[in-house]
Amino acid sequence: MKILDVKELHASYSASGPEILKGISFSIEDDDFFAIIGPSGAGKSTLIRCINRLVEPTSGVIVFDNRSVTTLSRKGLKLLRRDIGMIFQEFNLINRMSVMDNVLSGRLGYTGNLRTLFRSFRRDDIDHALQLLERVGLIDHVDKRADELSGGQRQRVGIARALMQNPKLLLVDEPTSALDPKISREVMGLIKQMATELKVPCLCNIHDVDLAKEFCNKIIGLQDGIKMFDGLTEDMDQGKLDEIYAMEVL
Amino acid sequence: MNNKATNTSPPRITSQVILDRRRTARMIMAVVYLVLLALVVWSVQVTVIEDTDWNRLGGFGKVWEAANRFIGLDMALFPNLIEPAIETLMIACLGTLLGVFLCIPAAWFGALNITPFKPVTYPLARMMMTLSRSIHEIVWALFFVSAVGLGALAGIFAIAVRSVGFIAKMSAEAIEDIDPGPVEAIRAVGGNDFQVVIYAILPQVLPQVLGVIIFEWEINIRRSAILGLVGAGGLGLVFFRQMNTFNFHGVMSVIVAILGLILIGEALSHWVRRALI
Amino acid sequence: MSTPTMSPQDSRHIAKDAQSTLQWRRFKFPGSLIRYAVWLSVFVFLAYSVEYLEIPLERLLGIFGRMGATLANRYYPPDMEYIMDADYMRYVVETIQMAYLGALFGLVATVPLGWFASYNMTPSRCFVYPVARLVTMSCRAVHEMIFAIIFVAILGYGMLPGVLALTFFCTGFAGKLFAEEIEAIDIGPVEAMRATGANLFQIMVFGVFPQVRVAFTGIAIYTWDVAFRAATVVGFFGAGGMGWYLKRNVLQIESERVAAILVSIIILVFISEMLSAWARNTVMKMK
Repeated sequence: MKILDVKELHASYSASGPEILKGISFSIEDDDFFAIIGPSGAGKSTLIRCINRLVEPTSGVIVFDNRSVTTLSRKGLKLLRRDIGMIFQEFNLINRMSVMDNVLSGRLGYTGNLRTLFRSFRRDDIDHALQLLERVGLIDHVDKRADELSGGQRQRVGIARALMQNPKLLLVDEPTSALDPKISREVMGLIKQMATELKVPCLCNIHDVDLAKEFCNKIIGLQDGIKMFDGLTEDMDQGKLDEIYAMEVL
Repeated sequence: MNNKATNTSPPRITSQVILDRRRTARMIMAVVYLVLLALVVWSVQVTVIEDTDWNRLGGFGKVWEAANRFIGLDMALFPNLIEPAIETLMIACLGTLLGVFLCIPAAWFGALNITPFKPVTYPLARMMMTLSRSIHEIVWALFFVSAVGLGALAGIFAIAVRSVGFIAKMSAEAIEDIDPGPVEAIRAVGGNDFQVVIYAILPQVLPQVLGVIIFEWEINIRRSAILGLVGAGGLGLVFFRQMNTFNFHGVMSVIVAILGLILIGEALSHWVRRALI
Repeated sequence: MSTPTMSPQDSRHIAKDAQSTLQWRRFKFPGSLIRYAVWLSVFVFLAYSVEYLEIPLERLLGIFGRMGATLANRYYPPDMEYIMDADYMRYVVETIQMAYLGALFGLVATVPLGWFASYNMTPSRCFVYPVARLVTMSCRAVHEMIFAIIFVAILGYGMLPGVLALTFFCTGFAGKLFAEEIEAIDIGPVEAMRATGANLFQIMVFGVFPQVRVAFTGIAIYTWDVAFRAATVVGFFGAGGMGWYLKRNVLQIESERVAAILVSIIILVFISEMLSAWARNTVMKMK
């Protein structure tokens, strides 16, 4: 079953600026772990951000879970974002808050303003957060402040926060480029494992081709806003890779 | 050994523990806020409820009526405001200039790395800075009016003395943060203390100090516009006269003139900043 | 075949040749001229100001002597007994309360106003942002004494106009600083909160406020400082507190009492500054 269907997506940061995405189409099944690869500046981050409309696409159709993303109202957009978890390159944690509060912030879409103000989350949410923190191996760091953790630990908090939402899709934006190679592999492994366990499809934008080949079952290759490759990981070979990264070599 | 370590580790944290802890934290915050609120209530009681003559004030309608008198401008007054406005600007300029001269010794004595005799000059400079900043310009003006008489001079002195503190403090901090390399270089070519100041220290701190001076000049325009209230000339004097003759539209005209002057000052300082730094 | 040998004459020849083409002068044609012209006009303006304001330059040196004499004869010794009085103490407490209320109300107003006036977080850039900016800018541009005078004219003598004047003053003072702090935040957590489906209020509470909390506390302490300094004098125009004492004694030319009041103001401001410096350091350490 298709969870996400993107057709002819165009995007640019300003009306007069250059076009970042030039007509991208692809679709994600509900058991996919999808990688987007490509040189920097190819529009990978923009593509991911268009799906939960952190970046407004200029034209095109995005259908997520039978909802047309591009035409949603404000209310509808919030409900959509609630269903899509996101993991960031720079973790984007709230540094001055505890690990617990950071993970709980994933529930904001389900929490009222008054509860937000007093940080009084439901017991179910706290239980859920504890389970997730145990799974990502941070149960001993619950009360630490986010800025006391190492890079790998912070990204684990980011993963727990995204999973707190009970997402139907996980958007992962360069989860490892701020981490060293060993930790990168661990973090990718954790994301893969959690996604398989909780049956969440992933759209993962990744710079490191080896990691993409190791963890993902499908790959999109982007170059300068144009889709150069779309298919199973097994079908990706050196020739196609060279084509995608041709601009960077030059 | 490892197993033993995990066995003796503290019991697992539960949601109940977290909820309880959060409740306690909220209670403490509630107490803090209650104390703050009690202070507010007490202060409001003393300053607003008891001290205000509610009968004289009348109802909301009367207050509205009183406020309404201020709405409107006295257009005829504007031509008469040009001269005081220029006066105000001049007082601000001369006051800032004098303040800059006064701040040379203060910044010199107040920077730890160049102060001539630390146990005496450093505290002395720091005291001067605090004294200058802690007294309101109105109070300074009152003092100078009684010392040198009514007029622009009192205003200039008041502004100069009031701005010394800030300029000297920022300059002293800038001097303390300089790169010691150029100082060594000038000493190495045989320069004396004065040459070190001119060639090694001044060029390094000048952009920052100029920025501070321009910033203070902008504030000084705002200050000099009201010093006339206590007899130091400029727009404040006109304001005072309009107020005393109950020409409330004239009062608003003066305020508009002050705002205009401040806008001009802001534009000028923006331009000067771009040209200098 | 013959290798050219560099004789001293040759080298001097080169140096002489170079002299004719390589030149350095401190004076650069258009640049320096413009600079000198600007400096000259500034100097002329200042000199003209001295003339225009009729400042007696020849008496200027004597004035400093006179100032000392005035201080010594009229203001010294300060009449300390006058201020060691329960009634005066009540006015001091009232001044502190006035400053407290003014700073507090101003800061409370600043929280939404700073949010609305920050370009990156404002709810609407074309409507709310310019209005909030206008409000902060006009509160900032108008001097606190002008606020005091106008509120006294509207509401009559008393502390209520003082509190209101200080509120407006603190709103302008803290509003701009707070908006600048919000504009300097890291946008990452904000984006993360947006991605979880949080609304604007929740984004503020979770994504923005934790980032500016320390800075806001610093601003609050600073605001208290300036509020207290202003509170000691708003009474001069009838808005309550110690300023009223000051005004009375200035009008009665009781200079020794004025001196005593000034001394008390200096001491109080000094204490308040030391307390707030200590508080600021503590807050910074908590960061």
